[in-house]
Parts: sequence; structure tokens; C-alpha cells
Amino acid sequence: MESLAKEQIIKDLLPQKFGKAGKIWVGILLAFCTLGLVAYILQLKNGLVVTAMRDYVSWGIYISNFVFFVAISLVGSLITAVLRLTQAKWSTPLTRIAEIIAVSAITFASIIIVVDMGRPDRFYNLFLHGRLQSPIVWDVIVITTYFFVSILLLYFPLLPDMAILMKYKDQTGMLWLNKLYAYLGKFWKNTAAQIHISEKAINILSITIIPVAFAIHTVTSWLFATTYRPGWDSTNFGAYFISGAFLVGAGAVVVAMFVFRKAYHLENYIKEEHFDKMGKVLVLLALLYLYFNVNEFLVPAFKMKKSEEEHLMGLFTGEFAAVFWFAISTAMLIPIFILIQKKGRRPLPAFIAGLLVVIGSWFKRYLIVTPTLLHPFLPMHDVPESYKHYFPTWQEWAIAMGSLAGALLIITFFARIFPIIPIQETITEIEEHEQA
Amino acid sequence: MNKHSKIFFTAILLQFLAITAFSQAEKNDLSLSISYFNSNNHTQYLVAHAKSKIDGKFQMIPNINLSYYIGTEDAANLLGKAVTNDKGDALLFIPPAAKDEWKKSAKVSFIIVSEKTKDFDAAKGNVDITKAKIQIDTLADKKITATLMELKDTTWTAVKAVDVKIAIKRMDADLNVAETQTYPTDSLGVASADFKRDSLPGDSKGNLTLIAKIEDNDVYGNLSSEKVVPWGKPIKYYTQFDKRTLFARRGKSPLWLELLAYSIVVAVWGILIYLVGQIKKLKQLGIS
Repeated sequence: MESLAKEQIIKDLLPQKFGKAGKIWVGILLAFCTLGLVAYILQLKNGLVVTAMRDYVSWGIYISNFVFFVAISLVGSLITAVLRLTQAKWSTPLTRIAEIIAVSAITFASIIIVVDMGRPDRFYNLFLHGRLQSPIVWDVIVITTYFFVSILLLYFPLLPDMAILMKYKDQTGMLWLNKLYAYLGKFWKNTAAQIHISEKAINILSITIIPVAFAIHTVTSWLFATTYRPGWDSTNFGAYFISGAFLVGAGAVVVAMFVFRKAYHLENYIKEEHFDKMGKVLVLLALLYLYFNVNEFLVPAFKMKKSEEEHLMGLFTGEFAAVFWFAISTAMLIPIFILIQKKGRRPLPAFIAGLLVVIGSWFKRYLIVTPTLLHPFLPMHDVPESYKHYFPTWQEWAIAMGSLAGALLIITFFARIFPIIPIQETITEIEEHEQA
Repeated sequence: MNKHSKIFFTAILLQFLAITAFSQAEKNDLSLSISYFNSNNHTQYLVAHAKSKIDGKFQMIPNINLSYYIGTEDAANLLGKAVTNDKGDALLFIPPAAKDEWKKSAKVSFIIVSEKTKDFDAAKGNVDITKAKIQIDTLADKKITATLMELKDTTWTAVKAVDVKIAIKRMDADLNVAETQTYPTDSLGVASADFKRDSLPGDSKGNLTLIAKIEDNDVYGNLSSEKVVPWGKPIKYYTQFDKRTLFARRGKSPLWLELLAYSIVVAVWGILIYLVGQIKKLKQLGIS
């Protein structure tokens, strides 16, 4: 019986070939990526003038996208590290989903920052002539570090599954895939010594990733907070960014849980219980982020310094009001309202809440970056009208959407190649549960 | 010519006169003045000033082309040309070529002439000066003297009863050496002042620059003479330039920052390298 259960688990969790829907999904993502690539080639050819960025708004949706990717990548440390270290066993099926979201997001965070450069061929100057005093250099260091930590945290727990994947190579399909599995994990024999080393390494990584993850989000917030501008001049920014990052990361995991559960029929592994628990996590994080937002806007609004008035009123009732209230509602208020109720934490409503969090959070990043740049302390004088407003050009939209599609494509291909739920870990947990 | 024609032509004539009068009234009078400066008895220059009364207020007039002459308004006596700036001022150093004209007499006349513009008619201004020189000197007990001499025919003669400003030259203005701002010259042409500014910050060696000057004098113009004396308090200038600061260039970051940043990088990457080593160990265990 136990043997059958084990076989069933392996059968359920082995990577599956794309069905018709999967192929359409990949086709759509590839189309977006291609469009983004074409737009980027045009940008390379003609320069950043193809964007709507000018002297004042020099950080547009590229940097908004960068902050969004950096934020969403924090989920790796939340699910894998925090929940692992707190012995929250229920999170086991979610760890790999969280880690691949983290890896794909941090990969595209790095790419999008290069896209924002007018002369990417001079990127190496950042390393040759970078100043250690600059938060931008700290960001480069910490993003690189976080990327490697996330890769290792994805790789170590994957090793036991490699042996299973090789054993069931007939079911996994293509020859090159089997070669890949062999290259990555042929040496894994599931011996006690190997398990001991692997578990120790995962624990070390789980501890290491937390300060690194906090650093990446804090340093990213410092890119703004160390600059004296309305809306950025805040001592609250590090904590504000981290809470927002946890929220969007958790939202993305809920969305991914729902999609993978549906697409791969994983109802026996990603259960309603998981949505309930992640729903509770999400509502807690949304409340926390709402608290930081109240701090971030109520205090300056109470004082309403002349220099910040235009920026704040622009958000509350001015040209950005629609986006501002949309972001606050979709990223926090509506998800809190949905998820605070028990029936709201069932798969579909939780998925909708997660999706709203992700969409709202993207717009929230846009609001952090752009309106501030349009309200400098020194008034704008004798500048073309186009400098006073910002709306992304089609090239910017295409590149931004292409990067989002690229991140989703990494997750999609990963799920095609590797088990999206850890097989060996699931088997071990069931065996331990039965023995207990 | 009938009655109607007379009325018509009279109206046209009045209209023409009104337009002419109006166009003439549009042009304001340009007022030009000129001042003579002699600094340290060797640098001589002229500063012209252009102003006009517009809407009941005097306003400085920029962009006026001025020609400077010495003696008479002849092409041979042209010193040079300059254009007024936003403050209506135009400065011209007296060129060495004017030496012969300068030496002709003890009294010299300078003339400025502006060109006609669409807003102003041509204008003229002049100043007559008597050649003079001022010499600053110091005595024991921090006493300062300034001697004013004028040229009479061919001899330098002391000038008495002229107020001389004796001061310390600072960055933006002159600082009195004592309570009194100006000191009159005596029969020997000497004005005396006591230096009463102890512990005044000087340069790195404690040097101060004393200055004696007469300003806007109707006869002599503006004369000044300077002397450097070690009567100040030496000031050591502290600069953060090219020091290890958060705002310094690359390679000049504060040591605490370098220590902190590199320690974190070494610690975290040390762990990552250790873990990569563990992968190698896992491979070895798998092979054996």
C-alpha cells in the first residue's frame, strides 16, 4: 500500500509535457518576449529617446518593474527560509514554487536594470569605476548575492528528486532532459551522509537568505530614500519596502499555487488547507503593508509641507489619484476584505485576492517611482511640455510586458523540466506521518 | 479745395504728427557716467555706467556699445570699446598705447560715447581727473599711514583735507581698522590710523591685506593702495576635498564603510563558497 502510494506520488508529481493549453500559454509568453526584444533592439538602435523618459522622469516603468521584480523575489526567503526555520511543515509543497518565482524574478530584475541603461555596453564601468559609497553599487552586490543564494536554495532540495527523475526517465520524455538530470544530480545516491550534508546546507542557506533578502529590499529602498525628494525622503522606506515585498511575493505564490494545482491536477498536494494558511499569511502581510502605507502618507499629509503638497495632492486627488486608489484597493483593501473571511480563503477567492495583490503591487511600484520625479523641489522652468508628464511609449510597455512574460516563461519551463512540488520531501513527510 | 477736403487733409496731418510725436516719445534719454580707477598706482581702468529713467524709475541699461576716448573725441584718442552688462556697467582697462596722451598734462579728461540704438539716441559722458596717487605704509605699534599726492605741473604735491578710507580688505567688503571709517590727510598729505583689530582671522600665515582708498572723489576719482601685513591670526583651513568621505570619489570611501561592506561580502560569499564545496563533497560521496 505504502509502495503504491509512493508510486502514485511520483506519478502525480513528475514533470508533464505541455498540453494544448500549455502550448498556447508558452506561445503567448514567447510572443510577448519577442515583441519586447524587438522594442529593445529599437531602443538600442535609437537610444532612450524612444521612451517617454526625459530630464525629470529618468526612472519610468523600467525601474518600477525592477522594484516589482526585486519585491516579488523576497518570497523565496519567506516560504523557504522563514517557514522552514519555524518548522511549518505545511509549506513543503510550496517551497519550490516560491524558490523558482524568486530566481526568475531576480533574474529579470538584473536584466531590466540593464535595459534602463542608455549605454548598456558601458555596464562594465559600474564595476571598474563604481563607488562603494553609492547605494547603486550596494544593490549590484546584494542582487548578485541573492541570485546565487536563491539558485543554491533551489538546487540543494532538488537533488533527491534528480535520482527519481533519472529512475523514471522513460516517463519524463526527451533525451536531453535525462542528460540534464544526469549532469545535475547523477551523483545523488540518497545516502545518509549525503542527506546530512544536504540538510545542513539547506539550513545554512535558509539562515543566510533572510539577512540577504532583507538587505536587497532595504538597499533597493535606499536607492530612493537616500535621495532628497518629496515622497522618498523617509526613514520608513526600508521596512515599507520589505513589508510590501513580502505581500506581493506571497500573493504571487497563491496565484502560482492555484494555477499549478489546476494545470497539473495537484489537488491532493496543494490542498484547501494551503490556501487557507497562505490566505492568513497574505491578510496579515496586507494589514502590515497597509499600516506602513498609512505611516508613509498620513504623516507627511498631516504636515503638508509646501514642497511636498503638490506630490501628495497629485496622489490623493490629482493626476495620479485613480492609479493610487486603485493600487491601495487592489493590493490591500479588497484582498484584506476577501481573505479575512474563511470562505474567502478557499482556492478561487484566494487566487483572485492574490492576483489583485500582484496587479495592485505593480502599480504601487510605479507610484513610488514616477510621481516623485515629476515633482522636484526646484520648479520646472523653460522645459518642453513632454518633460512635465510621463506616459510610457509602446516600446516601454513592450519591454516591460516582455520582461514579465520572460519571468513567467522561466517558471513555466522550470515546471516542465523539474517537479514543481518536491517529490522526495513529500514522500518522506508522508512516511514520517504514517510512522508517527 | 473744398471744406471736406480741408478737414480730411488736416486730419491726416494731425495723425502724422501724432504718430511722429509718439514714436519720438518712445525713445528715453540715456544717461552715461564714467569713473576713473587707479589700483595700487599701476592698474588704471575706467568704468562706464548707463542708465535711463523709464516709467519714472532709473533702470540700468545693458547692451549699450560704448567708445572710450582720452582727451578729445578723436579716432586717434580712442582707448577702446566695451558693452554694458546687465548692471549697465562696462569696464575698460586703459591701454599702454594711451601713454603719450596721458603724459601731456596733469589733468586728464575721459569721454564715453554711445551709439544710437532703436531705443536710445546717441549719448555722451565724461570725467575730468587730476593725476594723483595714494601710498599705504605701516609704522611700529601697528600704525597705518596713507599718503595722498597729486601731480601739479611736473611735481608730486601733498594733498590735505581729503578723507581716506583705511581698512582691512575682506572677501566681500572692507573692514574698518578701528572705530573710524575715514581719516583726513594732514598738510603732508598723510592720513594715520591705528590698527585695533586683534585676533582677526588672516590667511594660513596670519597675513591681512590693508587698503587705503579714496572713493568717488570729484578731483581724483577712485584711488587705492594695498599692503599685506602679518597682523592677523593664522587660520588653518580644513577641507574634506579628496578625503575619505561618503561624498568622495571612488577609492576614497570611509574606512568604516569599506570594513563593514567588505566584511559582509566576505562573510556571505565565504558561506556560498563553502556550500559550493559541499556540492563537490556530495559528488565525491556519490562516486565512492
